[in-house]
Amino acid sequence: MVLRKISIGVAFLGGLFIVVPIFHIFVTLTSKELLLTLKDREVWHSLFVSFYGAAWATVLGCVLGIPFAYFLSRCEFKAKRLLESIVNLPVVIPHVAVGIALLSLFNERTSLGRFFQILHISFTDTIYGVILAMSFVSISFVISSALIGFNNVDPHLEMVSRSLGASAAYTFWHITFPLALPAILRGAVLAFARGLSEVGALLILAYYPKTAPILMYERFEEYGLKAARPVTALVIFVSLCVFVPLLHFSKRYVKS
Amino acid sequence: MLSLSLKKNYHNFSLNVAFSVRPYSYNLLLGPSGAGKSLILKLIAGFEKPDVGFIQLEEKDITALPPERREIVYLPQNLGLFPHLRVKESLIYPFKAKGQKVDRKYLENIVEEFGLKPFLNRFPAQLSGGERQRVALARCLMAKPKICLLDEPLSALDFHLKMRLIVFLKQLKEKFSLTVIHVTHDPLEAIKLAEHLFIIEAGKLSFAGNINQLFQNPPTGFASDIAKQLVGLKQSLNHLLSNLLPKNG
Repeated sequence: MVLRKISIGVAFLGGLFIVVPIFHIFVTLTSKELLLTLKDREVWHSLFVSFYGAAWATVLGCVLGIPFAYFLSRCEFKAKRLLESIVNLPVVIPHVAVGIALLSLFNERTSLGRFFQILHISFTDTIYGVILAMSFVSISFVISSALIGFNNVDPHLEMVSRSLGASAAYTFWHITFPLALPAILRGAVLAFARGLSEVGALLILAYYPKTAPILMYERFEEYGLKAARPVTALVIFVSLCVFVPLLHFSKRYVKS
Repeated sequence: MLSLSLKKNYHNFSLNVAFSVRPYSYNLLLGPSGAGKSLILKLIAGFEKPDVGFIQLEEKDITALPPERREIVYLPQNLGLFPHLRVKESLIYPFKAKGQKVDRKYLENIVEEFGLKPFLNRFPAQLSGGERQRVALARCLMAKPKICLLDEPLSALDFHLKMRLIVFLKQLKEKFSLTVIHVTHDPLEAIKLAEHLFIIEAGKLSFAGNINQLFQNPPTGFASDIAKQLVGLKQSLNHLLSNLLPKNG
C-alpha cells in the first residue's frame, strides 16, 4: 500500500516534470505576442521547412533503414553484433559532431560533394543538407524499431507461406512486412519527431533554409528569451497537433 | 513416390538418413527430441539444404528447387496461422500466392468438409485450439500438395481433442488421397495413424516398416524401447476399448 502511494507520488512528479515547462510557455504568452508571431511569415516558413525536411528524412530513413533491418534480422554473419551496435551510433554521437562529419564528407571540395554537384545537389545551406542531417540523426529509430518488428515475426509463418506456393518476395510483402508494420510505423513517427527537433547538425551543415528550432535559437541569441518564447509556443503547439494523433494512431495500430 | 538420401552436418549434430515414402500413405517419423525429425521435414520442404544427398519426388530431382516450387506443404507445430489474415483470406492464400484464380468450387468443398463456414470471417486469435487445427489443415489442402509435412501437429492438444483429430486426419488422408509425413514423439499417434513408421535416433534411421513388423521383430536400442511402449499402449487401448464397448456376444 505504501509502495503504491510512493509510486503514485513519483509518477505525479514525473508528469509535472514534463507538463509544467510546456504549460508555462503557453501561460506566459500574451495575446499580442501570439498575434505578432502568427503574422510572422519567417516563422511559418521555418515550420514548413522543418516538417518538409523531417518528412523527406523519414522517407529516406525508411527506404534505407527497413531493408537494412530486414537484412540484420534474417541473416547470420560474423560481424552482425558489431553492425547492430553501429546502427545506434547516430544517437550517441554529439550532433554538432554529426554536422562536422557530414560537412567534411559532402562539402563541394570532396569527390562525393563534386559528384552530387553534377546532379545539381549541394548539401551546404540547402534543403538537401537539412534532409541529409535529419536523416542521419533519425535513421537509428527506424532501423531499431523495424529490427524489433522483423525479429517478432515468427519464421514459421514465412516457411508456411513459401510451402503454400509464395515466392520470397510475395512472402515478404504479404506476411513479414504487414506483421512488422506497427513497429516500423512507430519507428517512423519517432524518426520524424527526432528530425524535426534537430539543431546541432543543422547549425554546421545547413543553417539555411532555417528550420523552426534554428529560428528559435537565432531569436534567442539575437533578441533574448522574450523574443524566442512566442515562436517556441507556436512550434510546440503545432508539434503537439501533429504528434499526439500520430502516436495515438500508431499505438492503436499496434494493439489491433 | 518420395525418395531421399540426406546428409547434413552441424558442429554438434549430424543427420544421415535415406528412405522412401509411397504415394497416398500415412508415414510417421517417431523419435526423441533432438533426433533430427523436424530437420528432415525442413530438408524435404526446402528450408534447409543438405550437405550431400538428393530428394526425388515422382522421379524428379527437387533437391535444388525453392520451397514454393516443390508442391510440398509444411505445417509447423504452432500451425503457422497468419495472425493478420481472416480464415477466408488464409484459405485462398495459396491461390493468390501462385497468381492463380481461386477455385471457388474446391474452396466450398474444403469449407464444407472442415466445417469452417461459421469461422470464415474470424482471425486466428478468435478461434479455439481445435478450430485452429482445422483451419491450418484446410489451408494445407487448399494448396493441392503432393505431400503434407506435419510437424507435431497434435502435441499441444488435450487427449480428447487429440483422439478426435486423429480420426479426422485418417478420414482426410483417405478422402483427399494424401501422402502425409507426420513427425511426432507420441507413440499413441504412431499406433493410431502410422501405415509406415520411421524411427529416428540421433540423426540416424533405426527402424523403417509398419507397426506389425515393429512388434514382430523388435529392433535394438531406442527403437526397442519404442516398440515396448507401443505394445504396452496397444494392450491398454484394447483393454480400455473392450471394457467400453457393449458385450452382446
